[in-house]
Amino acid sequence: MTEHLSAPILNALADAELSADQLVTTNQHLSQCALCTSNALHHSLLKSATGKAGQRYATPPNLQARLARRIREDLSLQEASRLDNARRPMRGLPLFGWATAMALLLVFVGIVLIQHNWSRSATASAQSVALATEVCDQHIATLAANAPPEVISSDRHTVKPWFQGKLPFSFNLPDNLPGGTTLDGANLTYIHGRPTAQLLYHIGNHRVSVYLQQRTDDQISNTLSTDHSGFHVFSFKTGDLDGIAVSDVDPARLSDLVSIIAHAQK
Amino acid sequence: MTLLPWKHTDRESGSQTSAFEELALPLIPSLYNVAFWLSRSPADAEDLVQETFLKALRGFSTFEAGTNFKAWIFRILRNTYLTSRTGLAARRTVALEDELNENGDSGPAPYPEGAIDRQTPEMNLIQMGDRAALQSAMEKLPAPLLEVILMCDVEEMKYKEIAIVLDIPIGTVMSRIARARVNIRRALKGAYGPSREVSL
Repeated sequence: MTEHLSAPILNALADAELSADQLVTTNQHLSQCALCTSNALHHSLLKSATGKAGQRYATPPNLQARLARRIREDLSLQEASRLDNARRPMRGLPLFGWATAMALLLVFVGIVLIQHNWSRSATASAQSVALATEVCDQHIATLAANAPPEVISSDRHTVKPWFQGKLPFSFNLPDNLPGGTTLDGANLTYIHGRPTAQLLYHIGNHRVSVYLQQRTDDQISNTLSTDHSGFHVFSFKTGDLDGIAVSDVDPARLSDLVSIIAHAQK
Repeated sequence: MTLLPWKHTDRESGSQTSAFEELALPLIPSLYNVAFWLSRSPADAEDLVQETFLKALRGFSTFEAGTNFKAWIFRILRNTYLTSRTGLAARRTVALEDELNENGDSGPAPYPEGAIDRQTPEMNLIQMGDRAALQSAMEKLPAPLLEVILMCDVEEMKYKEIAIVLDIPIGTVMSRIARARVNIRRALKGAYGPSREVSL
């Protein structure tokens, strides 16, 4: 004979929770074991008696009627609320939803604008640095070449006409230059691939390059005032022209020259 | 029959009312009986059943037609009880004891195998149908054991259904049932009198 049935098996037997295989094995054991049969009977009787004893409290006579009434009242309220909401589709939650959507849209647009401005600012900054680098390189190349300007003259009436047919724009040269400043001549050059007038000046012993270029849409919007490789770089705007001056002269004297050239364009 | 999940199904309001009443109203006696056992008070039992009904009604749209409504609404009753004043007090009282005795799925054997004599005192009490002694024994059960024996023996739910109602593993259901029956047997033994007690 195998071991006696365990308590879980006896409980599961009483509760009809044994699997088919377990039931076959258990019945085989019970047919040979009087003690386990007695235990199984006891479990079954206890379950049955507990079940009967547990049915102890009778429902109060009016409870069912009260609950049924309460259910109908609650459902009526739910139905009324549902109909009310159906009649007011744009109030309450939907209105809140529109407001939320608008707020989100505004936040989104704000973020896009901020990103766009930041991007434009970053681009402009990069363009300014590139422009300063290029004009400085050209100025240094002019100094290093020690070659005469393409048009050599201190006369503005000689220099300006020399550019006729060479530039798609025209410009004025000032009558009177600041003290110690002389016009040496000019070159035709290219900045950012576009034709540019390079005016060459002397301020004392310092040489100055002033570049004049026709303005385009992608031109740098802000004026530039910076130092690059030891040179001072000033930009200016006049009418349809953009100018940029490069020199290692005192910034104040360079600024004076720039102001006079800019004023001559008006 | 599928027990879970209780999915959302759309119903017309009128048919929803009748469907809910059709399913729920016959269960009032069972719900009230279990509520009374757990709360030990007729007023609290009525409150529990009423709150259970209202919660069930409001959540009826989440119940999937054709699944086990009895397990569903008993779960609501049990959760309502757990958050009630009496339920919270019962949980505080028995929580530690219940945790300490919860040793795995099946738990230790509640008594030596084959030690029950067919003429034990509690056997005689049971055979005599002494409901008062059994009810007294059940009253002594801590809430976690009482609710599992009510589900199993009184409501005749399957272990799987009880596991869903109580939100515990089936193994825990089995161990609690075994412990509840051991407790009842001990209480019956005491009721019969220590002088005539038979060794178990």
